[in-house]
Amino acid sequence: METFVIGLSIASILFMVALGLAIIYGTMNVINLAHGEMVMIGAYTTVLATKHLGFNIYLCLPLAFLVTATFGLIIERTVVRRLYGRLLDTLLATWGIALILQQLIRIHFGLGLFGVEIDGLGSDLQNVPVPAELQQAFQLFGANIPVYRAFVFVAALALGAITWLLMFRTRFGSQLRAVSVARNTAAACGINDKRVNMLAFAYGSGLAGIAGVLVSGFKTVSPDMGTPYVVDAFLVVVAGGVGHLLGTFASAGILGEVQSFVATWANDVYGRTVLFAVVIFILLFKPQGLFVTKSR
Amino acid sequence: MTYRTASIIAYIVFFAVVLALPLVLNSFWTNRVAIYLVYSICAIGISMSWGYAGILSLGQGLFFGMGAYMLAMSLTLAVPDNNPVPQLMLLNMEPDAVRDLCCVTTGSFLWIPFRSVAVGMIAGIVVPCILAAGIGYVMFKRRTTGVYVSIITLAFALIGQLLIINNQPLTGGFNGLADLALLEIGGFEFDPYGPSAYYAVAFTLIVVILLARYMLAGRIGQVLKAIREDEARARYLGYDVENYKLFIFCVSAGVAGLAGMLFTLTSEFATPSLMATSLSISMVIWAATGGRASLLGACIGALIVNFVGSLASESATFQPVWPIILGLLFVVVVLFMPNGIAGIFKAFIERSGKAERFAKAELSAREA
Repeated sequence: METFVIGLSIASILFMVALGLAIIYGTMNVINLAHGEMVMIGAYTTVLATKHLGFNIYLCLPLAFLVTATFGLIIERTVVRRLYGRLLDTLLATWGIALILQQLIRIHFGLGLFGVEIDGLGSDLQNVPVPAELQQAFQLFGANIPVYRAFVFVAALALGAITWLLMFRTRFGSQLRAVSVARNTAAACGINDKRVNMLAFAYGSGLAGIAGVLVSGFKTVSPDMGTPYVVDAFLVVVAGGVGHLLGTFASAGILGEVQSFVATWANDVYGRTVLFAVVIFILLFKPQGLFVTKSR
Repeated sequence: MTYRTASIIAYIVFFAVVLALPLVLNSFWTNRVAIYLVYSICAIGISMSWGYAGILSLGQGLFFGMGAYMLAMSLTLAVPDNNPVPQLMLLNMEPDAVRDLCCVTTGSFLWIPFRSVAVGMIAGIVVPCILAAGIGYVMFKRRTTGVYVSIITLAFALIGQLLIINNQPLTGGFNGLADLALLEIGGFEFDPYGPSAYYAVAFTLIVVILLARYMLAGRIGQVLKAIREDEARARYLGYDVENYKLFIFCVSAGVAGLAGMLFTLTSEFATPSLMATSLSISMVIWAATGGRASLLGACIGALIVNFVGSLASESATFQPVWPIILGLLFVVVVLFMPNGIAGIFKAFIERSGKAERFAKAELSAREA
């Protein structure tokens, strides 16, 4: 049971990161390797806001969303926009962006070169204080469940629901879906597809930022923390089927649980090894993803 | 001057410079440049599979690392202290285990063939090839293409790295193998800081580049380019697309393995970080900077990026900024020079060739 709950919280984080990636990859056909850095920036936003502004972790959620969405917007406008249709090139260029962002944190946004250092940045590890009510644990079916893990799970569900509403119940969502199915037709019908791309990229980055806030509560924050997330999240996206919210949700759940159970049974390394192996098998035998019934 | 003559001249100049460099470099820089030449060989491997066949492998580091480990295992056993059982295994064994390579730790029997350096050297190429053949067979027969190939190879490299880190008693874990003897062939010792190791690397590089060029200039190269441009059409024309891809993927892995061995030779260690994602992606960037579809370009790209990188890390001001410059380089290369340095070179030669022809035509018109 405890293993299951740990698996759920791994899955929740994976889901939040993968959701943003799925929107970006599914809609725009862009592989954003800087997505993990959005998680990192979200986490650093939390570190800075708790240190300097006295924010608690709840207030950091919207703040991190705004910050990372802005970063996403800038990246889309300056680099990604020029690369639509060149899938592998987007992968390389965004890796470059990821390197830049990591290093910017390490050198205090360049201020470190002039001897100015901001508390909370730099290459050191950072920790975020978690409010007392989230540090407790409660009993459920005889198992001891930390409140924080439950909080992460609820947040992931809420974000999933909001994203679903956004995708299927708003004008923007229908435009987004139209663009992802048939870009040119949608543009010919008067949808401003560049604007849709831009907003989708920003929204996806924002989701990763929120995941970053939640991660910062139970993991140490460091400039290179994002890279593992982007790889895992990408595996989740392709395993679940590109452009399918439900597929992403289910595959995040399955992969999170697989990792958690193997990790308890053997160790962390085998947990990840088995995770990769499962995804490779899924890709080999069902390259369009687990939960795609129709092909287009 | 046509592009063909220009590129032949470029090859000759490059080889001459590479061969002449140890005459002017001190032993530290001889070693550094030898390592950059090793990276160049990696970039050639990338250029073969990505530039020619369009297979972007992000797991090239796996094959590179495998090659490095194979030779490093042999060289570990060549150290007298490590006989009959390497120190790292003694540190990790069960108290009552037999002190023999067969059974001192689980799986240690895998080391037995590596008592012979020759086996280590052959394994450094053959093992990556076999591994690539296995991965490639499953991938290409399932007709996995494009970005899925990149992700699957990336995942395999991550698995390899994790397994090596995790099997500390067998592989030296996170610290890898660092207690190595010098490579000795027929009584001749290769000194990593002297010209001997440098020339071993330089000659390998030249042989690899010439062989690759010879192979890719022929029929295979043409078919691979056809596959890169339009896989389905190449298949309809009757080419066995899967086998061609499998072939070049294995060759590229073998080249990476060879480079890995030379890395062990020149830098005297092998660690799991050789299989890290960042190194695999860096290799792709070297090739992209120099020109993905040009073997020499990829080579020069690797040399330039690494050389500038180490210059930057020498200086206290530039050292923290270098990763940012590197990141910008990725972005700029991808955005503005998709064919890299070689592409710029080609455009320049063709433009000047055109101007020359134009001037000649005008001259003859005036005379008439």
